Amino acid sequence: MGQDMIELKGVTKQFPGVLANDAIDLSIEEGEIHAIVGENGAGKSTLMKILYGLQQPDKGEIFFRGKAVKISNPSVAINMGIGMVHQHFMLLPSFTVAENIVLGIEPRKRSIFMDYKKAVEITQDLVRTYGLKVEPQLKVRDVSVGIQQRIEILKALHKGADILILDEPTAVLTPQETEELFVVIRKLVKELNKTVIIITHKLQEVMALSHRVSVMRQGKLIGTLETKDASEQIIAEMMVGREVLLEPLEKTTVEGKTILEVNHLKSRDNRGLLALRGVNLHVKEGEILGIAGVEGNGQSELVEALTGLREIESGEVMVFSKNLAGKSPREIRESGIAHVPEDRLITGLSKDATITENMMMGLHDQEPYAKKGIHTNKQTIRQRVETLIKKFDVRTPSQDVLVENLSGGNMQKIVIAREFAFDTPILIISQPTRGVDIGAIEFIHQQIVEKRNEGCAILLISAELDELFRLSDRIITVYEGELTGTFNNGEISKKEIGLYMTGKRKLSKEGGA
Amino acid sequence: MKKVFNKKDMEYLISLFLSIVVALIIGGFIMMANGSSPFEGYRALIRGAFGSQYSLANTFGRTVPLILTGLAAAISFRSGIYNIGGEGQLYLGAFAAAYVGITFTSLPGPVGILLAIIAGAVVGGMYAFIPALLKVRYKIDEVITTIMLNTVAILLTDYLVNYPFAASQGKMGGTDMVEGSYRLTRLVPLSTFNTSIFMMSFIALTIYYIMQKTSAGYKFKMVGQNSSFANYGGIDAKKQMIIAMIISGGLCGIAGVFEVLGTHYRFLQNISPEYAFDGLLIALIVKSNPIGVVFMAIFFAALKTGSITMENTTSIPSELVLVIQSIIILFIAGEAGFKGMFKNFLMKRKLQQKVGEE
Repeated sequence: MGQDMIELKGVTKQFPGVLANDAIDLSIEEGEIHAIVGENGAGKSTLMKILYGLQQPDKGEIFFRGKAVKISNPSVAINMGIGMVHQHFMLLPSFTVAENIVLGIEPRKRSIFMDYKKAVEITQDLVRTYGLKVEPQLKVRDVSVGIQQRIEILKALHKGADILILDEPTAVLTPQETEELFVVIRKLVKELNKTVIIITHKLQEVMALSHRVSVMRQGKLIGTLETKDASEQIIAEMMVGREVLLEPLEKTTVEGKTILEVNHLKSRDNRGLLALRGVNLHVKEGEILGIAGVEGNGQSELVEALTGLREIESGEVMVFSKNLAGKSPREIRESGIAHVPEDRLITGLSKDATITENMMMGLHDQEPYAKKGIHTNKQTIRQRVETLIKKFDVRTPSQDVLVENLSGGNMQKIVIAREFAFDTPILIISQPTRGVDIGAIEFIHQQIVEKRNEGCAILLISAELDELFRLSDRIITVYEGELTGTFNNGEISKKEIGLYMTGKRKLSKEGGA
Repeated sequence: MKKVFNKKDMEYLISLFLSIVVALIIGGFIMMANGSSPFEGYRALIRGAFGSQYSLANTFGRTVPLILTGLAAAISFRSGIYNIGGEGQLYLGAFAAAYVGITFTSLPGPVGILLAIIAGAVVGGMYAFIPALLKVRYKIDEVITTIMLNTVAILLTDYLVNYPFAASQGKMGGTDMVEGSYRLTRLVPLSTFNTSIFMMSFIALTIYYIMQKTSAGYKFKMVGQNSSFANYGGIDAKKQMIIAMIISGGLCGIAGVFEVLGTHYRFLQNISPEYAFDGLLIALIVKSNPIGVVFMAIFFAALKTGSITMENTTSIPSELVLVIQSIIILFIAGEAGFKGMFKNFLMKRKLQQKVGEE
């Protein structure tokens, strides 16, 4: 590893209400893979935006190869050799790979027209130099997420990046794609002398990939460690600021009869394309069925179809031998399905309403919370909410606080508390811990398992394989709206399941499920 | 149970108060630019609004249509559907009342009044139902349709009162007078202040109760804040929007009924000096809070009645109050922006102090 390439001294950034970066000192050495970890809202992204010129620090200095610099906008950063791959890709889906890569610095013919042939050549050159395989002539919308990420990386390299900032690069990738990305990153660093900064919250990746790791918490840089001297436990504690106890999640119940059964379910997505192509599954009492799949393979549509929020084209949703297909969300709730939706702010909550108002949804016209179904009985509602706030450890000064003023973890606890408290025999839980801090994740996991142990039938959808493996009794894989496999947890490795998630392998026909 | 104002409510009340103060100060400068003393101007304004029994009667008489149309706007805004068609609904409601009053003349007084109110509410409500249905069925923007339906209603009633229902004596753009026993009793001599204030109060209390204390009010609010959340929670958002719109239209229709039975005793073309639009502004300013509507309606009514005295006793034109109203709206609309700027400023100051201490 070489000398300091970038050095930040006392970088401070204030947003209304939060000190996003509080006097950050950080050095990035030439030729290293430097991981930056921290919980949501720790200030990682803000720091990287400052480095890339998207935000200006209120205070502090940035040194580049020993010289003080002012990165007033991204083109300054690009000229210095800093490239960034955002978490959400900035690609034009209807353009080809080559066009996307040269975008902004297109080769030209007669100074007006784009030289497409040249663009393809440039792309092929890049592919040869860096060993990142892409097909220059394909349209971006036709390539997988993993490839799109490569395109982003190539784009940055084409602009002359020596330092690559990768923001949560593995969030959208399958285990296989993640592995491939790591190979690429290692190659870039080892053979081509690039420097890589990777932002992540997955500690296994930090351990597997990085040379050094910097941990952030609440806007402060807690410390920088040599990865070989660190462990996941140490890093987790630095992130959270206290000891993290991972208690074992025991199963204390026996599975009973099947109470949710889905047969040949078909439904379309918002564009009118078939998103579910005849899904069959069943969930038993006291069982957590996990659904694994790369996002956008029909999971969201499945949940919406089951909960009455999306029209069902054909098929059955049997609950206690009653077909709920085509019923309203209300009827489905009354038939015994509660639902934690994937996006709390879009579907799960009203952020402009108080905690009380959010927690009374579904009870608002039920006795005793509404006398005769009409007159809101504030007292009983407040009592219930008070109990739930305590039971689910929602951190708030009062139940009259507007939900928008709470952290992601506390918002999620409100959704979970409300839905779990309906005491339905069936729970559909989608992305239960997305954007939630480690402490809350642990709590939510325990609550889910407790529900299962009480005999609830749980359908769990998560983009985090770790979560599925930790909680599920059985896992099914989906790919392009079809089930590709069903496994008892423990029968299959994460790596193997990745093959089913990408449709590279398939079980003939899902027999028992 | 104690009433807790959350931080946001408090911030809002402060910024509303500041907006009104600043608007009045700017109004004062305009008076000075006009060559008049702002103190004299405002004194005349206050005297005109509250100075005598007669002026008080005028002010509170004017609150009747303003509170009704204000609540109408509030209930629709809160449900996430924007009824800008209150003026048309008011005209049709007023016409319906006049029709009852000149057609069914042999009913006992209270029955006739009740029938007129019901007729006005139903006609207004049904007229609001059209754009509501277009909105939830075909996603046609209700703002556009309701605005256009205003013109339709106003021109339709223009036609009706000039041709089929024209007054039997003289061409005056109005219907005949309604049956004597249907006319609401005047409470203060010379003024038009009448018993509709009691009926309005009853209606307003009912609406307040529905909006703040019932599951129906909760549904409206949740649909307006986040209709996906409402649907997910088992509330039929479309149905709630339609109901809110019908109630809103009904309230505007009743506002029209009271103008006929209490003020003019007949339907007149141009019966409303844009009461429904004032109602919209009122609801906007108070962010659809029903209690706020009452206070803001009184404020608006006072400005309006006071401005007439002001114009008569000083050389300040009554249009000044429009300027004041508009400035308040401007500040309230810009509230978020101003608040953000202000907060940022404070934050920077704090940060600089902190830096300085080091």
